[in-house]
Amino acid sequence: MSVLIDVQGLGKTFADTSIRFGPKPKPVRAVDNVSFQVLKGETLAVVGESGCGKSTLGRLLLRLIEPSEGQVRLDGTDLTCLSKPALRQMRARMQMVFQDPFGSLSPRRTVAQIITEPMESFGLVRGRSQRRERVAELLAQVGLPAAYMDRRPRQFSGGQRQRIGIARAISVDPAFIVADEPVSALDVSVQAQIINLLQDLQEQKNFSFLFIAHDLAVVRHIAHRVAVMYLGRIVELGPKEQIYSAPQHPYTEALLSAAPHPDPDRPHARIVLQGDVPSPSNVPSGCAFHGRCPIAQAICAVERPPLVEVAPGQSAACHFARPHPLTGVAA
Amino acid sequence: MTEFSLADANPEALAEREAIAAEPGLWDTLQDVFFGRPSTMIALVVVLLFIVIAVFAPWIAPADPLRQSFLQINKLPTWSHWLGTDQYGRDVLSRLIYGSRNSLIFGLLSPVFAAICGTILGVTAGYFGGVVDRVISRVIDMLMAFPELLLAILIAAALGGSFWNIVVVLTVAFTPGFARVSRASTLAVKQEPYVEAAVAAGVRTHVIIFRHVVPNILAPIVVLMTLWSASSIRIEATLSFLGIGTQPPNPSWGNIIRDGLTNMFATQWPIVSGGLAITIVVLAISIIGDAVRDVLDPETDQ
Amino acid sequence: MSKPLLEIRNLAVEFGPLKRPLRVVHNVTLAVGVGESVGVVGESGSGKSITALSVLRLVPVPPARISGEIVFAGRDLLKLPLNQMPDIRGKEIGMIFQEPMSSLNPVMTIGDQIEEALLLHENWPATERRRRVIELLKLVGMPDPEGRLRAYPDQFSGGMRQRVVAAIAMACNPKLLIADEPTTALDVTIQAQVLELMLDIRRRFNSAILLISHDLGVVAEICERVVVMYAGHIMEDADTRSLFHNPRHPYTQGLLKSVPTLTETRHRLYQIQGTVPPPGTIRQGCPFRPRCPVAMDRCAVEMPPLLAHGPTHRAACWATAPEVGA
Repeated sequence: MSVLIDVQGLGKTFADTSIRFGPKPKPVRAVDNVSFQVLKGETLAVVGESGCGKSTLGRLLLRLIEPSEGQVRLDGTDLTCLSKPALRQMRARMQMVFQDPFGSLSPRRTVAQIITEPMESFGLVRGRSQRRERVAELLAQVGLPAAYMDRRPRQFSGGQRQRIGIARAISVDPAFIVADEPVSALDVSVQAQIINLLQDLQEQKNFSFLFIAHDLAVVRHIAHRVAVMYLGRIVELGPKEQIYSAPQHPYTEALLSAAPHPDPDRPHARIVLQGDVPSPSNVPSGCAFHGRCPIAQAICAVERPPLVEVAPGQSAACHFARPHPLTGVAA
Repeated sequence: MTEFSLADANPEALAEREAIAAEPGLWDTLQDVFFGRPSTMIALVVVLLFIVIAVFAPWIAPADPLRQSFLQINKLPTWSHWLGTDQYGRDVLSRLIYGSRNSLIFGLLSPVFAAICGTILGVTAGYFGGVVDRVISRVIDMLMAFPELLLAILIAAALGGSFWNIVVVLTVAFTPGFARVSRASTLAVKQEPYVEAAVAAGVRTHVIIFRHVVPNILAPIVVLMTLWSASSIRIEATLSFLGIGTQPPNPSWGNIIRDGLTNMFATQWPIVSGGLAITIVVLAISIIGDAVRDVLDPETDQ
Repeated sequence: MSKPLLEIRNLAVEFGPLKRPLRVVHNVTLAVGVGESVGVVGESGSGKSITALSVLRLVPVPPARISGEIVFAGRDLLKLPLNQMPDIRGKEIGMIFQEPMSSLNPVMTIGDQIEEALLLHENWPATERRRRVIELLKLVGMPDPEGRLRAYPDQFSGGMRQRVVAAIAMACNPKLLIADEPTTALDVTIQAQVLELMLDIRRRFNSAILLISHDLGVVAEICERVVVMYAGHIMEDADTRSLFHNPRHPYTQGLLKSVPTLTETRHRLYQIQGTVPPPGTIRQGCPFRPRCPVAMDRCAVEMPPLLAHGPTHRAACWATAPEVGA
């Protein structure tokens, strides 16, 4: 399979640029030297806790936030040096599904207006009848009746709104979609519907997918590969099966063991990490995880481990990635 | 409460849902808000009535508002002078009717102009941020440092007191308020996920501003407009009193009250009727403003 | 089991006009024994939080109308004068809320906030109170408790704040602890810390726990018994093992099958059709009927009562009902 998205050394530092007296707040290093690729038709899941920079990463890829350094190539075109009009044209090839099904649809606009907005901005639909036909088709693809097209978002439940947001994203047949926690705001009984829908659509349309989540269980079903982020850096990246069965980074292992499991009989040896995620404005030296790591050694506080391949297709950023025997959950 | 539907894919539940009427359109909402509430209806009639009176003043007024008569000074209401006469023997009702022309034009025109200018400035500053924001915001801060009245007097003194000059004066005086409010609202709306969604969808910047930002900041602006239209009538009155507003002997509600004030112990009819006219119009405008705000707010229950 | 500590009988909560009331809790009956931990699981609109708040009489009446009985340690709380409730809240029933930040006062030190609970309910000398505050902070796993007494809530992270909230809730050794989504606002690794804390509280204090959550996993780890609610009704009430291994209600079955888990390797997730109905849209019959794969004609007319499927397992479903007389 060929590479669709190629990210090299991507970084973002948020600094306070306002003119003020007194000390300025420290700049926040949200994403730090991140490199990876997304293949055509592949789903890469980015998993991490709040403040790890996963949402910023998703927005950097689409250049909704300007990167501080690094490149993002979509099919060979470097997005980071495109002019504004050229970038806008590129947006027809990359779309986004948002976390908040309530806020991401304008309350004043009808479903048809919301869904046709991307198509309109690229001149892909002309005339009222063609527009309505296309909306009906898209609604059908996301499992909503065409009769809903003249209603406004507030008449729908969270799951239905998320379907509308998905219809908007696929309306221009993009090659790449970033989904930022698309199910975390939904009711438990509705999450599965949306996960399945996204999976079905990907199979039909063969777009590449960056799926951002805080929960490893959710991405288990949808991802081909998983990237685990901690404080702006990718600490582990690899094929799904390996990440879940043989994690190489202690943080991945802790995440896997921390998730509560709906089975009272499952024996749990939960790894409870001490302390909290440090602030991204004050990233610890060396390995950012060393303060909470159960296997940290002296070297971890000094030297930052690079992301190196530890198994075929699987890389981890840990000094002890190989010698330490790690156990995941049985696949 | 908001409505949801049960049906996603279950046909039975879907059939259940279809019985519920579709979303009311903008026209229905307008009808609801304007004709559903008696207070709004009355306010609308009042404002329309005043506009009709202002437009057809020469046909409606029983007398010439400028004609003085020393035999008829400070009269109480009679059949020929319904609201009595002032210290020059002029018919108060006729002056009130002619005065509505000046007062209404100032009261409605300047806030509308100011709202347009202020919104353009505020939205530009709020949406684009950075240097643009800093420059616009500092200029607005500077203008805000002066009280409206002082600013109006300054500009009027510099330009002279012609009709359009006063409109300009009041517009400049009111613009900073609108710019502040629209900038703050724009900053808030810009954070809404649907604005980011529009950017991500590839929508052009000017379309985003007109489609997603402006409609969502209109509500506070409309409310401000109704507030300022009251102040506008009041400030015009003050300017007239200072001799830079409507020039005597031409009537405006403001100078009817001012003239009445100096003559208060001889007859109270001019002040009372001028004051009532301002109160009624301002009240009606605020009620309409509230109704418009409700129409503009998509989350309002119907 | 002896007499339960908390017994809710036929609790109904409704809002809105009398003629067309919006009923958010329907005839909820559940019991929590002394030292028992019971989980209430449900999605949005299931009425789980309203039920918990009703126990503390924190649902404002009016606009709400509450009927039924809530018997706690022999007293019907719903019949108690409201001015006696503060003696029960905090002293006999502790509460942990979802948002650790908003349930702490940002301008009071955490030491003072914990002490306040003691001050209200216990008549102790100041030195004794201070000693107890430090002991509580130690119990909830706060590092350096003496040093952190004078810290303000914003100096703590989410997990640590939730520990402070737990310390306040446990200050007077309550007989019952109500925890409303205590981990929902927290990150996965912090959630793990709070779960350990809850288990620890269970072990050390021997308080009964009523845990409200939308997360089946959280409930499975903490609770001995689980009550599943949907659209204001109790759908199933069973001991935890029985519920997770042998669910009897189609809603519980669907939920368990549709939740993505770490060990699952199936490609597609099982999905429950449709969406959660907002309150008031289904006024007759079983509220799960439009989404139920095994719905029958009877379900549209009559809401099934909780039918026994064994000594500790009851489910409100006609389709899976045990044979009559069997």
